Amino acid sequence: MDRHPLPIHPEGTDGWSRRSFLLGVAALAGCRPPREKILPYARQPPEVQPGRPLFYATSMAIEGNAIGLLVESHEGRPTKIEGNPEHPASLGATGLQHQAAILDLYDPARARLFRRAAGPAGWGAFVERFGPTAQLGAGEGLHVVLEPTASPLLASLIERIRARLPAARFHFHAPLATGAVEEGSRRAFGQVLATQRRYDRARVVLAIDADFLASGPNHVREARDFAAARRVRDAAAPMNRLYVVESELTCTGAVADHRLRARPSDVPRIFAGIAAAILGRPSGLEGRARRFAEAVATDLLRHPGAGVVVVGDRQPAAAHALAHVLDERLGNRNATVFQTAPTILEAGGPSHGLASLRDALTRGEVRTLLLLEVDPAYDAELGEAIAMVPETVCLALHETETARACGWFIPALHWLEGWGDGRSHDGTLTLQQPLIRPLYGGRSPAAVLAVLAGEADPDPHRLLRALHGIADERAWERLLRTGFVPGTAFPPLPVAVRADAAQAALASLAREAAPAAIELCLAPDRRLRDGRFGRNDWLLELPDPITRIAWENPALLSPATARRLGVESGDPLEVRAGDRVVRAPAFVVQGTADDTVVLHLGWGHHHRGEGQVGVNAWPLRAAAGQPVEVRAAPGQRIPLASAQPHIEMHGRPILLHATVDAFRADPALAVHHDEPRPSLYPDAWRPSGVQWGMAIDLGVCTGCATCVIACQAENNVPVVGKVGVRKGREMHWLRIDRYLLGESEDDVRLLPQPMLCQHCEKAPCEYVCPVNATVHSADGLNEMVYNRCIGTRFCSNNCPYKVRRFNWLEYNEPIAATQAMQKNPDVTVRARGVMEKCTYCVQRIRAAQIDARLAGRALRDGDVQTACQAACPTGAIVFGPVSDPESAVSRLHRDGRSYGVLQHQLGTEPRTRYLVHLRNPNPELEA
Amino acid sequence: MSAPRSAASSRAMEEPPVLLARPSDDELTRRLLRPIWVGGPVWRILFLVTGLGSATMLLFVLYTVVAGIGVWGNDIPVGWAYGITNFVWWIGIGHAGTFISAILLLLEQPWRTSINRFAEAMTLFAVMLAGMFPVLHLGRPWFAYWIFPYPATMDVWPQFRSALPWDAAAIATYFTVSFLFWYVGLIPDLATARDCAPTPAKRRLYGLFALGWRGSSTHWSHYRLAYGLLAALATPLVISVHSIVSADFATAQLPGWHSTIFPPYFVAGAIYSGFAMVITLMVPIRRIFRLHEVITTRHLDAVAKMTMATGLIVAYAYVVEYFLAWYGGDPFEHYVFYAERLAGPYAWAVWTVFAINFAVPNLLWVRRIRRSALALFFLSILINVAMWLERFFLIVTSLQRDFLPSSWGLFRPSYIDGAILTGTLFTFAFLFLLFLRFVPFVPIAEVKELRHELEVAEGRAVRG
Repeated sequence: MDRHPLPIHPEGTDGWSRRSFLLGVAALAGCRPPREKILPYARQPPEVQPGRPLFYATSMAIEGNAIGLLVESHEGRPTKIEGNPEHPASLGATGLQHQAAILDLYDPARARLFRRAAGPAGWGAFVERFGPTAQLGAGEGLHVVLEPTASPLLASLIERIRARLPAARFHFHAPLATGAVEEGSRRAFGQVLATQRRYDRARVVLAIDADFLASGPNHVREARDFAAARRVRDAAAPMNRLYVVESELTCTGAVADHRLRARPSDVPRIFAGIAAAILGRPSGLEGRARRFAEAVATDLLRHPGAGVVVVGDRQPAAAHALAHVLDERLGNRNATVFQTAPTILEAGGPSHGLASLRDALTRGEVRTLLLLEVDPAYDAELGEAIAMVPETVCLALHETETARACGWFIPALHWLEGWGDGRSHDGTLTLQQPLIRPLYGGRSPAAVLAVLAGEADPDPHRLLRALHGIADERAWERLLRTGFVPGTAFPPLPVAVRADAAQAALASLAREAAPAAIELCLAPDRRLRDGRFGRNDWLLELPDPITRIAWENPALLSPATARRLGVESGDPLEVRAGDRVVRAPAFVVQGTADDTVVLHLGWGHHHRGEGQVGVNAWPLRAAAGQPVEVRAAPGQRIPLASAQPHIEMHGRPILLHATVDAFRADPALAVHHDEPRPSLYPDAWRPSGVQWGMAIDLGVCTGCATCVIACQAENNVPVVGKVGVRKGREMHWLRIDRYLLGESEDDVRLLPQPMLCQHCEKAPCEYVCPVNATVHSADGLNEMVYNRCIGTRFCSNNCPYKVRRFNWLEYNEPIAATQAMQKNPDVTVRARGVMEKCTYCVQRIRAAQIDARLAGRALRDGDVQTACQAACPTGAIVFGPVSDPESAVSRLHRDGRSYGVLQHQLGTEPRTRYLVHLRNPNPELEA
Repeated sequence: MSAPRSAASSRAMEEPPVLLARPSDDELTRRLLRPIWVGGPVWRILFLVTGLGSATMLLFVLYTVVAGIGVWGNDIPVGWAYGITNFVWWIGIGHAGTFISAILLLLEQPWRTSINRFAEAMTLFAVMLAGMFPVLHLGRPWFAYWIFPYPATMDVWPQFRSALPWDAAAIATYFTVSFLFWYVGLIPDLATARDCAPTPAKRRLYGLFALGWRGSSTHWSHYRLAYGLLAALATPLVISVHSIVSADFATAQLPGWHSTIFPPYFVAGAIYSGFAMVITLMVPIRRIFRLHEVITTRHLDAVAKMTMATGLIVAYAYVVEYFLAWYGGDPFEHYVFYAERLAGPYAWAVWTVFAINFAVPNLLWVRRIRRSALALFFLSILINVAMWLERFFLIVTSLQRDFLPSSWGLFRPSYIDGAILTGTLFTFAFLFLLFLRFVPFVPIAEVKELRHELEVAEGRAVRG
């Protein structure tokens, strides 16, 4: 029988039961460095020092867009993902999914059995069938489906396969991609180009159905840039202005200065109206939309070369073309917007999308089908067609729906287990080095493609080195340490839009869609995206940043539409498109367009503990264009797993907000919210020595919830499941509260407020604990002593912020050995019956203090970054010593916008302080 | 007997007598000891039912300890719910016994005599059940002893600013004193039981518990002294225990908890609910054991008056609380009192409590109701329900919606919450039946003394 070259995990069935396997993993946990030589970032110890984590540079690609990462590794096991501060797509931050990806590595439900038909097989059998000695002819009937990629390694392999098997066909499948972006570029420029946007240089941003702050292809970097132009440090500083037109309330729309909600069919028409107004033509709009369009047009025209128009993927090609036209007309090109060569291989080409594969399948021309890390049976209804193909190969991390339809199954490597490369959105060449030897064996797509390319030794590591031509060991090591090749970003191309582009686009957009009674808006889920993260416990349990609902994807409706349909939140709803029917509970979200039902894609996977989670809305997408029908379904109201049932602020001064003009008029506008209450007690204790504190700028927080997952990964925060969330027992130490502001449905702002332990100077939790289990440290932290806690929960009752979390049940047992490997060894895994909460990442503080002492120097500002702070794309969270008047956090605490939540009401003197949210409304739209 | 003329007798004219007829000592002994000698199938069935109920409760308690407190309905923000409600409710019920025994003894109220024994027993059992909850509701109940200031080797002490160590001390003290008081009072009657025991085994058993009581005048003199001292000790405890229980809430800063009115309000509420429970128990006992001569209409009337007085204090406290919530101007408190409690998810409980606790004490102005056993029994059940609901809404509504609306939640009890509450009722009944069956539940010696005193008074009246 064929054996994996690694001695530890034989593939196939040689009697390795799940139990013996887990025992093996348990025995080996912590001592599995990768076989190939990988090198730590920035530090080169003679060998691994127990207790000291090492950071390795690597990268993760989502839909072909790579981001540079640093992965923390404890004695050979990766535990936490951070952004690579030097990488242009990260700048130290990450997105939500990057933070959560570490959990997928250790997912006990990962596929581990290499099989052919019903029986076991081995890699050798696959190599024999497709490798250099196999007789494949010219590759007739051979089709390969894989994700769009920017990887030079994959590109070179594909090229070699095409040379070996000229008749083989490649299909790049990203279920969310519509091709409209590329087609729009082709219409505007005559070629497919990538667009780079520099939001830090933009004063006015118009987002058309684009959640660019939380889910765009380059959103981590773009959110940082956007925040740079939005952050107001003093009264003289300028502030950008954000206009959003969208159907569903998104993270971007929720913090917009002005937002116009519109049905999906109206969005292109409104955009055409805005464009027409900019181009000096009649907008053709009425009422509110017209006022909006004219104000936006005037504002953009007033800021030539300092605007950005960004259009979402779901918009038609004409809208994208029009955005390019506007960029040119407004002088933004080469100021805030650049066109570069596309990073994605064959972007916009016929190999993208599944149309040609569908045709081939229908004609029965497909004899061999390789599906590499794609799941078209789930997201494109191709399951039956795939099952008809004589020979099918599926490479996947899990036994997906596609895997079930396939003859061959190869367990995939997690990206933390394999070698590879990629390009970030701006073209920067980025390396992917493994952090751990494959836990379950498995292969990467590169290895599979290498076999097809006729490679006798399909070893991605060797191929990668050969491809990049780095023979010199030290140069290679240097590259691995940096994780990317600086200066490889694609240069801006001197392009101009075609003369007829504007006219064609406007004409195309102005064609009114026949108004349907109700429209369907299928959106990528903010956590699971297209479904690739649909088995990740952390993301499933993360409350949606807008709806605050976890573990399911309800159908979102505006209040008026819900009334019209006669449903309330939780009532079952039936959404029918053509002959496809999906049943989901309704949920009312203020700010959703009327006569629109929003469903999030990416749900409906089978979860090992929870059964099917959410509903799969992809079939509705397959029925696009067919008449949509929505009605209340029979059945009882379902209690939704909501983490925040109340979004009204009830006039309480919790999330303070003001217009930027009010701030300029009174730069100390938060001060009176911060006056201490008179007290009979003398201030007995004056802190001395280093004191810690945090500042959160509500002005730049987008509420994307990346910090929540970062905190969960860093602090071993357990998952409680759907029932647990429903009961109000979620364990997140840091949560993103949302408060509803705005006068009407058309003026909805749903502002985020990260809420975590405030580390009060006068902490209400401390004096009520009967056993001294929560105490104040000398450096001002409110500490939890787990060992001493008996679980009276009095502290939580008395906490006005309700940030304390209680281990109601044993949430960490039973645990798979692999899951245990993810746990941060520097943080206690809490047992049942004790209280826990944010510690300001005390383990990081102490590590930095020890380092400073060993180095014989004082602790500097910036030595300690909390997990939430490090992950935050916009840099909204700042942590540091408040005892140092020059530290960043001290400066923010002194800011006139800084206030402590409920400080004036309760006198808790929180160490976590917030900066008032600022909004920059357009006076023309305010009247 | 001729018409009474003395002051004592003229009082007896206005109020029903505390003892009907004048049975001889022998007859009293025989009648009051009869239940502990004569069993029967009804007893066995009652023991079986309540015993099974208690065993079931123990199973649920065990399950809670083994599986974790998560099997209850508590959540964040509602960290306390049924557990602490049950605790406060039972400890409140446990107030009447000592109040009747100690305070009324010191005030020399003759009507306490017939009912003090079972009221004290009720107190003991209620405090036992109450004491279970603060331990059971802990995340790690096996470390409950950390709350006591014991000399730990690592020199860690409880955190004395928290009200919970006060609570532990207060309840432990209260139980100890109540138990001693009850037991000391019981000694002469245990000796009587020993002396009248029908079998040698029973004689030996009761003899053991009678601690060698012979009824000598030295014994009586020591007994009086000890009993009086214990009464003096117990009296402040009646006030302090529930004041301290109220501090569990009043020292917190939650809207609806943080209130200086809590100690007197809680004490009044406790005595109110305790007297209600006395009525609930007294009325059936009186009927089943045909004790109309010993527990007379006078007793009903007096207990009802106490209920009325304390109930009116409770109702007054409601009014004051609402007034201050409005007058104080604190928006959080205002919201909890006027929006959350009156119209929130548990508004039905709040309105039920207000309806009962305003109506029932005022109904007791009517003498006919005060003297009707049936009416009192019915009203006492209402009060018991209302007082449980009162503690429930007080605890839960404040927690459910405190300062940040983002953290607001809703408490939904689990079936285990309900099962344990029901189970405590069974256990209480079981313990109380044990008491009725095996302990002289009307103080024989004191009734004899009362009869003697009454006869002397009447004799004086006749002679005069």
